[in-house]
Formats: sequence, C-alpha cells, structure tokens
Amino acid sequence: MSKEDQQHARGHLPDQLREAGGLTEGVARDLSRKTGLPEAEIYGVASFFHLLADPNTKLRVCTGLSCQMAGADEVLAAAKAAGLPVEGASCLAACDRPPAVLKERRVLPAVGLAQIAAAKGDWNAVHAPGDSADAAWAGAVGPERDDPEHLALNLHGAPDRSASAFAAAQAAGVDALFDQLETSGLQGRGGAGFPAHIKWRAVHGQAETTRYVVLNADEAEPATFKDREILLRRPDRVLEGLAIAAWAVGAKDVWLYLRGEFEIPLQAIEAEIERAHAEQRFGDIRFHTHSGQGAYICGEETALLEALEGKRGMPRLRPPYPVEAGLWGKPTLVHNVETIACVPAIVERGAEWFRALGRTEAGSKLYCVSGHVQRPGVYEAPLGITLDELVEMAGGYVGELKAFSPGGASSGFLPASKRNVPMDYKSLADAGSMLGSAGVVVLNGTVSMRWAVQHQLRFFEDESCGQCAPCRIGTYYLRESLDKSAGREPGTMAEGSPKGGGEKERLTHVADVAWQMNEGSICGLGQAAPLPLTTALKHFPDEFAAS
Amino acid sequence: MIARSTVTLQGRQVPFTPGETILDVAKREGVEIPTLCHDPRLDPAGACRTCLVEVSGQRRLMPACATKCGEGDEITAESERVERHRKTLLGLYLTDHPFSRDEAERGPPNELLDMAERYAAPTDWGTLDNKRAARHGDRNPYIDFDPELCISCARCTRYCDEVEGVTAITLAGRGSETTITTVDNLSLMDTTCEMCGGCIDTCPTGAMAEKLPLTHGLKKERELTKVRTTCNFCGVGCQLDLNVDPEGHDGRGRVVKVTSPEPGTTTNDGNLCVKGRFAYEFIHHEDRLTTPLIRGDDGELHQASWEEALRVAAEGLMGVRDRHGADALAFVSSSRCTMEENYLVQKISRAALGTNNVHQCAAT
Repeated sequence: MSKEDQQHARGHLPDQLREAGGLTEGVARDLSRKTGLPEAEIYGVASFFHLLADPNTKLRVCTGLSCQMAGADEVLAAAKAAGLPVEGASCLAACDRPPAVLKERRVLPAVGLAQIAAAKGDWNAVHAPGDSADAAWAGAVGPERDDPEHLALNLHGAPDRSASAFAAAQAAGVDALFDQLETSGLQGRGGAGFPAHIKWRAVHGQAETTRYVVLNADEAEPATFKDREILLRRPDRVLEGLAIAAWAVGAKDVWLYLRGEFEIPLQAIEAEIERAHAEQRFGDIRFHTHSGQGAYICGEETALLEALEGKRGMPRLRPPYPVEAGLWGKPTLVHNVETIACVPAIVERGAEWFRALGRTEAGSKLYCVSGHVQRPGVYEAPLGITLDELVEMAGGYVGELKAFSPGGASSGFLPASKRNVPMDYKSLADAGSMLGSAGVVVLNGTVSMRWAVQHQLRFFEDESCGQCAPCRIGTYYLRESLDKSAGREPGTMAEGSPKGGGEKERLTHVADVAWQMNEGSICGLGQAAPLPLTTALKHFPDEFAAS
Repeated sequence: MIARSTVTLQGRQVPFTPGETILDVAKREGVEIPTLCHDPRLDPAGACRTCLVEVSGQRRLMPACATKCGEGDEITAESERVERHRKTLLGLYLTDHPFSRDEAERGPPNELLDMAERYAAPTDWGTLDNKRAARHGDRNPYIDFDPELCISCARCTRYCDEVEGVTAITLAGRGSETTITTVDNLSLMDTTCEMCGGCIDTCPTGAMAEKLPLTHGLKKERELTKVRTTCNFCGVGCQLDLNVDPEGHDGRGRVVKVTSPEPGTTTNDGNLCVKGRFAYEFIHHEDRLTTPLIRGDDGELHQASWEEALRVAAEGLMGVRDRHGADALAFVSSSRCTMEENYLVQKISRAALGTNNVHQCAAT
C-alpha cells in the first residue's frame, strides 16, 4: 500500500469505525482486511475515543460542573436505577441548559428526573422536556438584537451569503489583509489568545505549496458553548472566514473538525457548505467536515490534527508548529470557530472598528455564562468586561457570588473579591487564572469548593490522553489525593467539606505535583489541570483544612 | 570556509552537525541526560519527559531526545529547575509503580528504579490505587507483559511498528488506563506477532519480559554473566549475548536466556528473531550431540575425536572421487552457515575435491 493510500485509509478510519457500530469484537480485524491498516492500530485508535470504545452506552449524562450544579448526579443515578444503558460524560457544551444528556450523538438539553421516569426504561424514549422529537435547539444569546455595527459576531444577524467580505479581502490583497488582521488585534479565541496574523503570515510564507486550513470546532472545554451557537446561527460567517483564510494562505481544502456530540451544529454547517459549494460562493475552495469521536484532548490543535489523520488523538511535540508541518505534514492554519467568524466583520468594517469593540484588549468576545445566574447563555461583550457587568447581561446572580471560574475548567477558580478584574487575556493571567475559552461558571454560597474542584479534577483525569507521565499520573494523583483527604467520594454539593478520617498528608505533595504537571506535560491539558485545585487551595484554604 | 555549528552545553562550546538532537550531542560530550522512552532505533517520542532540559529562548523545558540543536543554543542539563523537574517527575512515576526491587525487578533491569535512585526521587508520595487493565491468559510461550510495571512509554509498540513493521501491539485506552494490548486483547499467537521479542529488548522496566526465566524462577538478569556470540540459526551473523548463570549446570554454567547487544554496537543493531532470542534450550538438551560419532563395522555409532571424524570423512570423500570422478560428489551447504563458512564449502568443493557441484539451500 502506498503512503498516500494508507493516509487516505487512515483518514476514513474513525467514520468507518462509527459505521461499524463502534469497537465490538471482530470489528478491528474486519476493518483491517478492508483497509489494509494494521488491526492493532485500528483497535488502538477505537479504544481511544469514548464514543467508539463503548458502543453499548446509548445515553451519557453530562458531568460538567454546571450540569452537576443542576443535579446531573441525581439524573445519572435515576437513569442507572431505571436500567438504562447510561454512563457519565465529560462536558457536552450545553451548560446553559443543564443537565444535558447525550442520546447517541445528539445532545438533549435540560433532562431532569421527570424525563428519565417518563422513558419507562427505554433509552430511546428519553427526550428533552416539551420536545419529543428532540429537534434542533439553540440557547439564549445576547444582546438580543441584530446589530452589525456594534457586534463582530452578531449572532442574531441574518445570514449573509453575498461573499462580499471574501471579495473585499481579495481586492485589498494578501499583505493588506495581514496588516489589517494585525491592526485589529485579533487573538485566538480558542483559549491561547495568540495573535492571529502571525499564524496567517507563517503559513503564507512556507516553501511547501500544499497548505490546509482547519477549523477547530471540537468545543469541549467545560463551561464553553459559544462555538455551538456560532455554528448554529452564523454558519455563513464561519464559511466566509474560512474562505478568506484559505485564499490568504493559499489553501484549496478546508477541514472542519466538529466534536462528535455536535450532531445538530454539524447539520447546520453541512447545509451551509452544500449551498456554498452549489453556488460556488468561494470559487474552488472546498470544505470537508470531520466528526470527532469523543475526546476533549482533540481540541488541542496538534491532537486534533492527529485525529483528523485517523490516529489516536495524542498531541504532537512542538516544534514543528502546525503552520510549518500540520495536517499530513503540510503547512496548516488552525483556528477556533470564534476567531475565524470574526474575520469577515474585520474585513468589512475595518481593523480599527474591531479593535475599538474591546475595552482593555481588542475586539468583542463571546462569553459563555452558566451556573448561578438568571439567564445562562452566550453573550457578546467587549473584551475586558467585568464579571458583574457580564452577569447583569445574563439577568443577574442567583444568590450571593462566592466564586467563579472565568474561562473553563482549565482556568481554575477565583473568589468573589476578584469580580472587578477585567475579563481579558492578560488581566486574568495576571490574577493567576486565564480567560481561556471564556466559559464562565458562577458559583454561589451553596457550593462547596471541595466538591466543585473534585468534579473538575475528575474531568481532567477522564480526558488526559495518557501520552506523557506528568499528566497521565498527575491528573489521577490529584483527584485521588483530594478524594482520599476527605476519606470519601465527593458527596453532595453543599457538603463537600472534610469530615475527618481521610489521608490529609496526600495533599502535602500537591504543590510539587502541580509544579511537575505544569513544567513537564507536553500540552496545555496537563499544564492547566492542577489549576482548579491550586487556585481553590489558595483562595479557599479553610474548605480544605484538616478538621 | 564552512562555519562550524556550535551550541553551548553546560557552559562549554561544542560542535554539532545540523540535524543532531541535544541528546546526540550530550551523549558525545559525556553530559548525562536521563531517558526512558528513547531508543536510537525509533523516532523520538518525547513522552517520558525525563530528558527535559533548558534551552535558551524557550520558555518551556525541551525534550533533549526530540529537540534539534540550533546554532548558538545555550543548553542547560544541570540546574535547579532541571533537578527539581527530574525529582518530581520520578517521584510521580513511583506513585504509579512498585518501588521495591523485589516487586519491580522481575528479570530484566528496571531502568526507572535505577534512575529514581540516581536522582534521589521521593518515595513518600503515596501509591495510587490504579490497577491497569490488561489482557489475561496470553498463551504465547515467550513474551509476558505485566501492566503494573508498564510506564506507557510506547517503546514496544513503536518498535513493533517502526522497526519490525509488524504492529501486533498498540497503545490502548487513554489517560491513566492507557495500556499495551493487541487487537481485541487476543493472545499474541493469534495476531501478526512474529515473536521476535524486540518488545522485551526495548522495554526499560521489564514490563515486557521473557516468560521462560520467569516461570522457571531463574535468576535476575543482573546476576547473570553475558557471553557475546554469533547466532548460528542462519547466515546473517547476528550478535547475541548468552546470559549464563555461572552456578548452573553443576557449576559449569547454564545459558538461561538470550539478550541482544545494545543497539548501534553490532550489525544486527540490537534486533533478533524468534530463533535467536528464544530458541536456546537445545544448548543443554540431553539429546544434543556433543562429540562426533562414527558408525563402526558393527553398525553402531561410536564417540570419536574431531581429528578422527574428519579423517574418516576425508577418506570417504576422496574414495568416491577416486573411484567415480570428482563430479560424483556434490556439496549442499546449510542456510545456518555464515558467509565465511559458505565460502569454505565452495573452497573444499572446487579447490580441494575438484567439482563445481556446490549449492546452498537458501539459494533456491
């Protein structure tokens, strides 16, 4: 088999495994015969991805923090008691409508005990409330107006299929576009906040002429659900941003990697792709979609590239960076959905306009607000907004603010005293946290920090890829240490505090383990995984003190 | 004049050839950098993290095994930061690995334990409950896998894939449950495995080990004497090390296992096949012939000296030649002969006995 044939066969492997019904006995050997790929390799790939490795689980209850705060544990226990084929799942990106349940590949919002009871033991009969067809749903999005003059993402805007920004970018030329991106101050919205123009220029400047653009829509950072709304509401903007990027860096093929649980957003973007292809909206640029198979780590860009190539989603060593050697070793521009969706507006209205949308840093930003607020949802606001202002957009606090997690599980926790820190990349980093994906979880006084931390640590343990020792062992070590220090499992939301009898000494090594994970891990998962614990120990020491 | 590329390693300017890694240069210069997942035969994985060093201009510690030297790089392999890294990393490893020699060294040397001792890693961080799942009851006769000793460095799976091209084993699962297995957890006998045992050779902790010495309760590798020899199963000439228990076989020494020499030191580069690595029990087998035998007039075989046996064989061959001509003789050499031995067979055929009737069984 030639290298190209093997590459082709690998790329299709995840889909073929899915079509074969996941990893059941004999499947890997059958697929090996069909594809010529080694059977052990196929088995190894399938066993990596939750949606493939465990095909008999039909329902998955979200165990993300916001869903837990809404009683996900009780829903999971009830579903198990009812004999349903159910397990827990890492965050399903529906924190605004908790508790979320994944039915095969479809996320059902707000599934409570009533819905589990009504299913009478038939997993197929579990439905979202008031929606027996489990039709497409979208969350709350603010500001609730079509306002292209003040909102870069403008999620309530009507679809724009004119390709006018694409034409304007081409008229201006590549150098002018790169300068415009630089002046706009656009930073990567996936979490890293890296200046976009540097990546565009780097891919454009490579000697290799085959290049790719990849959209990272593997939105899985707990508490984050903004890309879901962009894909559902503005697929037109996503495609136009991708087309501008592809034209600018000299790529013909664009890959959109959506997490496997995004069945509804996938339908939305595929419909838009079909239409764009039929209209030849963006010339000969072709869009291809790829469904993830259940692995948070594939949101890390090099792990995503591995998964796209049909391998186990383990991050690559850098250098080389994807701009130099990305998908199939070719120069590749990888961007988050939100970053790419900002591009058409920047081209149309100018760099200065975009820059001015921000307060302390450039541009507007989608903040995902969940937890103890009146109206959880996605809110477009100036970068640098404070928590209080943001929560006001979300209808106000429920109860008294105790703590908040500003940017996904990876950002750890900050106490109420930090409520006035501008929520931008630099200010939150200086506060020992990060903006990350801007998945903001608000906790009121009813939540034990120990309980909240335990769920975040469990998440990282479940989602570590296992490649490097600091993360593979460290995530397990931290979670087990916290469990053991309490002498028991997490317990209830209000009573996560230690009752004695635990192995307190295990917590004495947390600082060293966290240091090692941060220094030694290959990728951001392991580097950030200790933050929920270390920040909570710093800001809420009493809740972890020996009783 | 071609400018010489140099890096600064521990404050010393040292030359490098473009493309060389930090580890390559450090090895040549005698600067110690520990490694676990590194094997010179494999593409660097950078997964075990033991080789991280400081490199100027890099915020993060960099894996020496995978980082290529750049002109003017300042590399620090000994510093407070690197030392803390090694200690805490190895301390973490030990929470997920038995650390008493009795438990953790079941035959092959355990490089992780050696390293933990060398860098005084803490052993008081507790022990994780994690019991890794692994396939049970593999009925293959040669290779045993103990998941509790496995550090998921993937040397075995990468070796099986990159060197042997067999890919019988794979990393499976993820996170703390990551382990090594086969398709559908089948016995190696039911996979593409060729039983070369390279997984055992490359494993740094002895998680992959040879079954026979384990099941026979034989001595650990450190207590055995290694005797370098040439494999006599075929003509390739692989070098192998007989591991001899000096007290065995009534004090005459007993071969209890075979290991391959360090990669890069012999022509077989540390690789062996199933025969070279595992088929050594014939050495001490009771049916093995240990002296020449000559069939006497009584029709029975009798022990003889080599001189006597060679004389009888020579007389027989020359008798045929004298009676029937040289072309009444033919020589067929064995594929177990080395090239040098094959050369000598054609020499005796053509020069000593005068016939071109010479063949080698591997030539067809």
